Amino acid sequence: MTRFMCMAVLALGTATVGAQSPAPDPRSPIPDLSGTWSTFPGVNASAPLRRASGGTEEIRRLDRAALRGVTAEVPGVQPWTDAPTYKPEHLPKVRELDALQSKTDPVFYCGKPGVPRIGPPRRIVQLPSEIIFFYEDMSGDPYRIVPTDGRPHRADANPSYYGDSVGRWEGSVLVVDVRNFVEDTWFGEKGYFHTDAMRVTERLWRNGENLVWQATVDDPNVLMRPWTLPPRVIRPSDAPLEESPPCREQDGPLLRNNDHHDQR
Amino acid sequence: MQTSRPLALFVFAALAVQPASGHHSTSAIFHDDKRITVTGTLTKVDWINPHIFIFLDGGTGTAVEPWRVQGNPPQWWRNLGVVRADFAKAIGQKVVVEALPSQDGSRYGYLRKITFANGDVLEDARGEGAR
Repeated sequence: MTRFMCMAVLALGTATVGAQSPAPDPRSPIPDLSGTWSTFPGVNASAPLRRASGGTEEIRRLDRAALRGVTAEVPGVQPWTDAPTYKPEHLPKVRELDALQSKTDPVFYCGKPGVPRIGPPRRIVQLPSEIIFFYEDMSGDPYRIVPTDGRPHRADANPSYYGDSVGRWEGSVLVVDVRNFVEDTWFGEKGYFHTDAMRVTERLWRNGENLVWQATVDDPNVLMRPWTLPPRVIRPSDAPLEESPPCREQDGPLLRNNDHHDQR
Repeated sequence: MQTSRPLALFVFAALAVQPASGHHSTSAIFHDDKRITVTGTLTKVDWINPHIFIFLDGGTGTAVEPWRVQGNPPQWWRNLGVVRADFAKAIGQKVVVEALPSQDGSRYGYLRKITFANGDVLEDARGEGAR
């Protein structure tokens, strides 16, 4: 099984599964990305809930309409692959981390996912000189302030989980350059470790009423070449942001095997 | 190499429902193929990540002992319209819990169904087909 997984990592690392689509018109005015955006379902997302109350019964399932727009052509999408391509000398470490994910993944133990693993923001507030990203995450509810007025990266910032961000507009696409990371995070759940040389480029744009988010990871210390993740199309949401419940992992000592399910 | 469009769309769609948080599988700690029924008094509800916990004084037989039952993540309940208060309103009342038993034999389970004293039911209905 482990051998199969390793082969899969190698194979997927070289297979392009996404093609570039026509970019949004660069003459377009700067769009407003502000809004509240859908979260992705939690663990066991496919499990329905049966609720019986007062003599009535209903089955509740997650809103499949969350898929709306996903299968449509999305202008501006960059070519992506399913997995990064690590330098050969780092593959054993990736394989080991992946195989032992339920014991080694910091996110399993309430760790911060960092960028890009946290994914697209849950809420965006767009101001003239900066854009603020808000998130809901079980490790806490981080925010990021992304200057868009030409300010450079901070020279005095400490390395952090979510890095130091600087944004710019390329036509109607917000491009965010993120750097100055700690090395504690994985940039993907399959043991995708990185060094403090990692840089992430996020691209966000509107596709109709939806938001599109796509990220590229580069770490020349461990990757053969930059890795562009599959894009995510996120629909607007009416659900208000809520403070995430505290995270207290209690099962680590009880694990009998390495079974786990994917997360992000 | 570029794959066919159908594959690209499948990958895209799969990612759209990718969970935002996750954990070990229930099979890493619990018996996925067994169920126990614990009857007792609900004493506490911890609405925490990565999984909620409920506590009750009761048992699978006549003995009354403290039990701990883990449930799906708060985000799963929230997405399906259930909040902590739906459980907490029953604190001090009798509940019947169906759960996967812990592999270590301790008084610990994974919540599949809870029936409250007034007959209300909340159930993780995976595998229940079209019911």
